[in-house]
Amino acid sequence: MRQALEEMRALYERNQADVSEAKSGRTDLIFLIRFRHCCLLRNQRCLLAYLYDRLLRIRALRWEYGSVLPNTIQFHMSAEEVEWFNRYKKSLATYMRSVGGEEGLDLTQDIKPPKSLYIEVRCLKDHGEFEIDDGTTILLKKNSQHFLPRWKCEQLIRQGVLEHVLS
Amino acid sequence: MYSMYQHTLLGAYINAIILLFLQRVLLLVASDVDALCACKILQALFQCDHVQYTLVPVAGWQELETAFLEHKDQFKYFVLINCGANVDLLEILQPEEDTFFFVCDSHRPINVVNVYNDTQIKLLVKQDDDLDVPAYDDIFREEEDEEEDSEDEGDGSEPSEKRRRFEEEVIERTMNRRQRREWEARRREILFDYEQYEYHGTSSAMVMFDLAWIMSKDLNDMLWWAIVGLTDQWVQDKITQMKYVTDIGILQRHVSRHNHRNEDEENSLSIDCMRIAFEYDLRLALYQHWSLYESLCNTSYTSASLKLWSVQGQKRLQEFLADMGLPLKQVKQKFNSMDVSLKENLREMIEESANKFGMKDLRVQTFSIHFGFKNKFSASDIVYATTSLMENIEKEGHETTNFIKALDSLSRGNLDKLHQGLDLAKKQLRAIQQTVASCICTNLVISQGPFLYCSLMEGTPDVKLFSKPVSLCLLSKYLLKSFVCSTKNKRCKLLPLVMAAPMDVEQGTVIMVGIPPETESSDKKNFFGRAFEKAAESTNSRTLHNHFELSIIELKTEDRSKFLDALISLLS
Repeated sequence: MRQALEEMRALYERNQADVSEAKSGRTDLIFLIRFRHCCLLRNQRCLLAYLYDRLLRIRALRWEYGSVLPNTIQFHMSAEEVEWFNRYKKSLATYMRSVGGEEGLDLTQDIKPPKSLYIEVRCLKDHGEFEIDDGTTILLKKNSQHFLPRWKCEQLIRQGVLEHVLS
Repeated sequence: MYSMYQHTLLGAYINAIILLFLQRVLLLVASDVDALCACKILQALFQCDHVQYTLVPVAGWQELETAFLEHKDQFKYFVLINCGANVDLLEILQPEEDTFFFVCDSHRPINVVNVYNDTQIKLLVKQDDDLDVPAYDDIFREEEDEEEDSEDEGDGSEPSEKRRRFEEEVIERTMNRRQRREWEARRREILFDYEQYEYHGTSSAMVMFDLAWIMSKDLNDMLWWAIVGLTDQWVQDKITQMKYVTDIGILQRHVSRHNHRNEDEENSLSIDCMRIAFEYDLRLALYQHWSLYESLCNTSYTSASLKLWSVQGQKRLQEFLADMGLPLKQVKQKFNSMDVSLKENLREMIEESANKFGMKDLRVQTFSIHFGFKNKFSASDIVYATTSLMENIEKEGHETTNFIKALDSLSRGNLDKLHQGLDLAKKQLRAIQQTVASCICTNLVISQGPFLYCSLMEGTPDVKLFSKPVSLCLLSKYLLKSFVCSTKNKRCKLLPLVMAAPMDVEQGTVIMVGIPPETESSDKKNFFGRAFEKAAESTNSRTLHNHFELSIIELKTEDRSKFLDALISLLS
């Protein structure tokens, strides 16, 4: 990003210099100025596309990881992006609350239609203790298998800690 | 005071299942194929009824204890499959009052504490399994207070009377003490007799299938797993021939009940549906996935009877094949590619010729499974494949990874794992045969008096394969069979075998197994469990009795010779 911005600034300054020169008589510089202007516009478009793509990915992260992002990912986001993420979270939460009656509907669950209430999952790495809604904890050790309600495992499946076992 | 012990009938267990609907259960499963099959059946039942569970594989007592300690705060109900029946569970695990254990274990004898404790420990056994447990009164006794109650009685009594009473009391107390000592001596004797020999009861997979049947939730898949569990017991020589045939009969009834539609030509099921068929099949390991020749060479029964480690043995094999009219070229190629005309009456032909060569039991009652056009497996194929997957030494991953892979291979959707298992099984069988041949040819099996002894050296090819308990047991059994056929010494034929192999070179440990003698009417009872314990105690050897089978131990290489000496003197 920074390199692109540097390049743009350099081009802009040279353009500025040339515009003032052109104003004072040298008309053959106009093409050069136009060319540089087009470069500037293109760079701007590329930068904007890049930033927009990042925003789309951050939005997808909310659906994948839930409302709290892991530290490794937050490290790579700029402050403005974090703020954007928080605002997106808020507006998604407001929307979810407004849909589906009193309690709201958690749209981030069950993205694919579920086949059964309970699924069998296998733990791929040592994840330590995992607390579920009714307060009980499950110890997730590598290669242990568990038979749990679907909604409790979805998050962990997406994160890659658990693996859905089909038999 | 009870006059007869109580054990949970399978019907009563159903009530317990209803309790489990609201609870979560921890399954602790041992590492053998029978346990895996029982586990599959139980998992299917739990999934049917939405009972939440967690499955933790355990390979030995230490893993069992660790798993229990890690999970005891989160679970109140524990199901132990093929582990835990033969020791005092409550003492080892020290659970809370409200923890319950359901134990489905084929190891016998069941520890007396487990039998008589009917609050926390529930045993799943079949009603007609004869447990032979000693009577309650013979081993448990309430403490009777020996009160000295006549000190201050009777102020007005005369001294002579007092002295008489005192003498009477002394006599009574001495009598009580003597009775007590007699009772305790008798108790020790009874317990010693009861716990001396280890053996196996009904397969856990069959018990689980019975449970499913009582609950009317049994499926063909579960029946197949029960069959594999029983066949595992037969392959590993854990049950007598008679028990095997009886259990096959029981399963045969279930098979006809589930699979009778195949006989009806008009309404038969699609070829893709899974079906089980009873077969009076050849006893040749993996022969349908190998070549007939390889299978003949690598099955212990044929290899031992024909004595294939010697040159005359090889000649006899050629004669055997010639007698049946099977050309060598045909016999050496993959079984599926053999000429159809040769395969047609193969079983009867082989049986006839085998009888001439002294192999009367070449055919055995078993079952096979079909699904799709290509997939046909015999129960023993699955047993060999799953065992090799479970004891796979090729990839050094987490210990439980192999368990999980083997568990997966039992599902029909994971054919790739099953085929991988079959390949590994072929390697394993070949390695076993070669090791057996070299041991016999180099006279590595020596008689130590009360038993035969064989020790595998460090650099032997494939020795790493035999650092695993089940593989080493298979090797020992094949070795003993072959040895019995090769030796002329009548006394040696009746001896049991102790086998040792290097386990971990860095830590300097050796794994040792003891197996009962190989006789026609063997009752498969193994006394090495207790013998090993006593020998270890008396020599202070550094041993680890970690396996659920007490006749498999690990010990330090340096302690091996004194341990063996102690064992010899103990058993002489």
